[in-house]
Amino acid sequence: MLDLEKPPVSVLRRNNVHVSGSGEKAMMFAHGFGCDQNMWRFVAPAFEDEFRVVLFDHVGAGGSDLSAFSHQKYATLDGYADDVIEIARELEVENGIFVGHSVSAMIGVLAARKAPELFEALVLIGPSPRYIDDADYVGGFSQAQIEELLEFLDSNHMGWSAAMAPVIVGNADRPELGEELTNSFCRTDPEIARHFARTTFMSDNRRDLADVPARSLILQCSEDVIAPKAVGEFVHKAMPNSTLVLMRASGHCPNLSAPDETIAAIKSFV
Amino acid sequence: MNQQRPPPGSADATAPEESLEDLYENAPCGYLSFLPDGRIVRANQTLLTWTGYGREELMGQRFQDLLHVAGKIYYETHFAPLLRMQGFFHEVALDLVCKNQARMPVLVNATEREAPFGSDRFIRMTVFNAVDRRRYERELLAARKAADEASRELQALNATLEQRVQEEVQERIKAEEALRQAQKMEAIGQLTGGVAHDFNNLLTVIMGGLETIGRQLTNLPEGTDTGRMTRALNMAQQGAQRAATLTARLLAFARRQPLDPKPIEPNRLVSGLADLLQRTLGETISLETVSGAGLWKAQADPGELENALINLAINARDAMPAGGKLTIETSNAHLDEAYVEALAEPVPPGQYVQIAVSDTGFGMSEETLARIFEPFFTTKEAGKGTGLGLSQVYGFVRQTGGHIRVYSELGHGTTVKIYLPRYAGDTTAATGSLPLQSGPAYGGDETILVVEDHEDLRAYSCGVLRDLGYHVLEAGTGRSALEMLQASDKVDLLFTDVVLPDGMDGRQLADEAKRRRPGLKVLFTTGYTRNAIVHNGRLDPGVELIGKPFTFDELATKVRAILDRG
Repeated sequence: MLDLEKPPVSVLRRNNVHVSGSGEKAMMFAHGFGCDQNMWRFVAPAFEDEFRVVLFDHVGAGGSDLSAFSHQKYATLDGYADDVIEIARELEVENGIFVGHSVSAMIGVLAARKAPELFEALVLIGPSPRYIDDADYVGGFSQAQIEELLEFLDSNHMGWSAAMAPVIVGNADRPELGEELTNSFCRTDPEIARHFARTTFMSDNRRDLADVPARSLILQCSEDVIAPKAVGEFVHKAMPNSTLVLMRASGHCPNLSAPDETIAAIKSFV
Repeated sequence: MNQQRPPPGSADATAPEESLEDLYENAPCGYLSFLPDGRIVRANQTLLTWTGYGREELMGQRFQDLLHVAGKIYYETHFAPLLRMQGFFHEVALDLVCKNQARMPVLVNATEREAPFGSDRFIRMTVFNAVDRRRYERELLAARKAADEASRELQALNATLEQRVQEEVQERIKAEEALRQAQKMEAIGQLTGGVAHDFNNLLTVIMGGLETIGRQLTNLPEGTDTGRMTRALNMAQQGAQRAATLTARLLAFARRQPLDPKPIEPNRLVSGLADLLQRTLGETISLETVSGAGLWKAQADPGELENALINLAINARDAMPAGGKLTIETSNAHLDEAYVEALAEPVPPGQYVQIAVSDTGFGMSEETLARIFEPFFTTKEAGKGTGLGLSQVYGFVRQTGGHIRVYSELGHGTTVKIYLPRYAGDTTAATGSLPLQSGPAYGGDETILVVEDHEDLRAYSCGVLRDLGYHVLEAGTGRSALEMLQASDKVDLLFTDVVLPDGMDGRQLADEAKRRRPGLKVLFTTGYTRNAIVHNGRLDPGVELIGKPFTFDELATKVRAILDRG
C-alpha cells in the first residue's frame, strides 16, 4: 500500500546507489560500520571491465537519505539486508556477486538467505557473526568491552563527531586523493553511528551461516582487532560452501590497506 | 636538505642537529611514527614520559594497542580508513592507555607520509595532551544536556500549560466548594447549637415546672378538675419530651451533645437492633444484615449509634414506598492518607469500622446530596419529617471522630457508609460512668452544693433536690460556690453547670473544690459539650455528667448513685 502522505523515496536515491562498469553480471559492494561506498575506491574499478559494479551507502551513512533512517527498522541487521534486496531487485540483479565488508558480510548472508536468486557468490571481508565471546565461541570482545564501547558512545561523541567532518585539505604525499571524496567519508550523524554500533556489535548471526545457498569467499586479515582469525575460521566451518583465504594484509580494511591483494583474491574466486 | 642548513641569524652553525633532536624529543606534544599496520617505529621522549613506557617497550607495539576497546574499534572502523582515504586526520579525540593502565585523553593528528622504514609509507602522528580540554568538554556536554532538558521541560510545560491551568482551576473550584460546604455546616452548627442550648435550658425549666405540678396534683383531692389537669399535664409533658428529643438531635448535629463513647461490637449492636428496625421498616421492606468476619470493636456512644441507624432506616423506608430491601453491612476499613486528605472535613488516617446502610429506593440527586446533612432540610412532605434525622447521624459521626460518606444514584438507591474509629483498647472495660438506671427515685439527707448561673434552672434543680430531702446550698458563680464551700463544714456533692460566668468554669471550680476537699463528689451538667470538661465531645474518664434537660427521676437516680458509690 502506498502511503500518499509520504511519497516513497526511490530505493536508488535512498541508498545513494551508483552503477558503473560494462559487464553482464552484477557485483555489489557493501561498506561496513564507519564508512561509506568510497572505501571501495581502490578495489571496485578493477572489476568494471567484467562486471556491472553497484556501489551504495547504507541508510545513515555517506550520501544516503538520512530521513529514511528508522531506529526500529535498523535495530537489527535484517533492516539493512532488506535494503540490499530492494536495491538488487530494483537493478534486476540475478546470480550476482555480493562483496560485503565487516558487518556488511553478515548483511549479505542474511540477504542471500532471504532472496537466494540474487547472488550466486558472496565475498565476505572480515566477517563476524558475533562480536561478543560466548562460552566456547571466541568473538574477540567480552560482554563488558562491548558495553564499555556503547557506554562510551553514549557519553562522549563530541570529540569524535568533530573528527567526522574533517577539513578538506590536499595531502602532497597522497596526490591520488581528490577533495570530493572526503566530503562525506566517515561522516555520520553521531546518533545514527551510535545506533549502528549497537546493532552491529550486539548482533548474533551464527545460526544464519549454515544454510546459505551461495558459495562464499572469506577474506581474513592478519591482526584484525575487529574480527580475529578464530572468527574467520568459525565462519568457514559454519558455511558449507566456503573458501577461507588468510591475507597478508593486517588490520580490518584490506580493501584500503591492501587493495591489490584484495582484488587478486576476489578475482581468483569469481 | 633544507633542515640541515643553519637558520638565518644562528650564532652556532655547528649544533643545529643536536637542537633539532632536542626539539623533537622534548616538544610540548608527543610524536609517534608507525607503519601502515600500526607498528610503532619511533616515539619522542614526551610521549614516553606521558605514557610511562620505555622506548624499547614501545617499539614494535601497534598504535592500536595503546587504545582502549572503544578507541580500538573506532580507530579500525573510522580513523584508519579515513587516514588511508584522505591521507590525514586532524584532532581526533582518543584515550591512550598508559603503562599503569591509567587513561590519558589526547587529541591526535596523523598524516601519511611517503618515506622509507622498509616500507613505502608511514604514518606520523602528533599527540596533544587533552586532559583539561576533555574535562571542559564533559562539563560543556553536561551543561548542554541540562540546558536541553530544561528547554524540553519548558516546551512540555508550555504545551500543557492551558490544560494544566484548567485542571488547576477545576481543582481550586472543587476545593473552594468543599471549603464552603464545610464552613456552611460549621456555621449552621454554631447557630443550631446556640439556639438548641438556650432552648434546652428553657425546656428544663418547663419540664421541671410540669413535674412539680404533677407532684402537687397528686396531693389534691381527685375530681373533674384534677382529671383534666392531669390530662393537660401529660400532653404538656409529652410535648416537652418531644421538644427535648428534637433539641437533642439539633445538639447532635452541632456536635454538642454529651457523648459517652464505649467500646462496642457493631455486629452485636446491629443484630440487637434488627427487630426494632424490621418493625420500623414495615412488611414490604426486607432487612438483611451482613456481618463482617473478625470485625473490630468500635469506639462510639452505643445509644447514639442506635439512633443513627434508626434514622437511616427511617430515611431508607421513606425512599422505598413500594417496598424494597435494606442491607446493613459491617466490615473493617482502612482509610489511607490519600483518601482522608481529599476530605473536606478530614479525619486521621487509620483503622475504622464501617457500617454501611443501603437501600433500593429512588436515590437522590446531586443537589439533594449536597444538602442532606443540613438541619431542617427534608425532601419529605410537610409534616412527614423533621429534617433532623441525617443531621443527627452526621453530627454524631463527626463528633465521634468518624467519617460519613453517602453514595446515591437516582432510581437505584442510596448507601450511607459510617466509619467509626476502631477501639484502641483490648477488652470490654467500660468507662467510669455509671449506668443510668431508671427506677424509683429516692432521696437522702446529704448536703449538695448546686452551682448554676441560670436562675430558673438553679431553682428547678434545687427544688428537685430539696423535694428529695437533701440539704441544698446554691451559688450562681464559681467564686461564690468556693466561699460557700469554705464556710460550710459538710458538703457531700458538688452539682455544677460546666459553663459558668466570671472566669471560673465548672471544671476549674471542681478542681479547686476537690483540692480543698479531697474526696468531694462532683456531678456536672451541661447542655452541650464544647467546654473544658469534655474533650472533643467526650467525657473525661470518671467524670459524672447529666445532660440537660434532665427529669426529676433522672437527677434523683444519678445523684443517689454517685453518693452511694464508695
